[in-house]
Amino acid sequence: MHHRKSRTTNVKYMLAGGSVVAALGLLADPSGLLPAPPPAKAVCQEVVQPRAVLSRDQLSKLLTIPERAAKTQVRQVVKEPYCQLSDVELRSNVSSRREAYPLEFDPQTWLVVMYEGDEYAGYSFSFRH
Amino acid sequence: MPDIRLASATKMRQTPLLIRVLIGIGCLLPFGCTSPPKGDPPLSIKLYQTWQLQPGDTIGDRSVVGGLGDISVALDGHNVYAPFDGRTQLDKRRCLFFSSPDVPAYLFRLCGLSDPRLGSVSQGDAIGSGQLLQFAALRKQPNGTWAIVEPAKSILERTLKKP
Repeated sequence: MHHRKSRTTNVKYMLAGGSVVAALGLLADPSGLLPAPPPAKAVCQEVVQPRAVLSRDQLSKLLTIPERAAKTQVRQVVKEPYCQLSDVELRSNVSSRREAYPLEFDPQTWLVVMYEGDEYAGYSFSFRH
Repeated sequence: MPDIRLASATKMRQTPLLIRVLIGIGCLLPFGCTSPPKGDPPLSIKLYQTWQLQPGDTIGDRSVVGGLGDISVALDGHNVYAPFDGRTQLDKRRCLFFSSPDVPAYLFRLCGLSDPRLGSVSQGDAIGSGQLLQFAALRKQPNGTWAIVEPAKSILERTLKKP
């Protein structure tokens, strides 16, 4: 009698304890443990100048050039790109050309420059390369 | 005999405690399982065009759902997808703006979505759905404003169809 009682008590404690552990498990966020899939970054279509990087000086000069300036004005500052990304069409009947430059002082970050025809459209920073 | 009574008495006291602990944990579960809400302030975009009415405005007690420069698409409850890796944000008119580092100098404005997904998105991710989508392409101007331009069909296709 005594033995059976302590046994059922044990089972109850195990169930209760197990429930607590299971409940705590639900609180954990397992997505954080899984390796994050690498983001599908814009990939180079064609490497133009494998050694090309952008210095701080070039970057600050580029930032002074307004959008809609001539492509040649931008190219004088940034020189040849590391690579060319695939062309995209964003505006109707206008093909946008994208060129990428790793930063000399932060090679994981790329500067992406966009041109539309002979016109400079703008830039952006693309991280985690 | 007395120790059995003692044991059962202790058990009587302990069981409700355990249940209370379990209920307590159960109550906390909804908070533990949801990620904290994104506290981004609404995006403020200054348009190059100074048109009086924009989607989200009110005129004659009626709300404006589309404006000049918007392409209206019958979504019929279907999803729209991120055309590139990028980021989505809402403006104060509750329109969704998509931007991407892969596409400098452009923004895409999507109005009329009922359950927009905010934050970092990958290409092909569903970013919202709705009945009637108002789509506009915006291009950056030298003075920092954004001009509504005619979007290419290919960018609309990327947004409407999962790649």
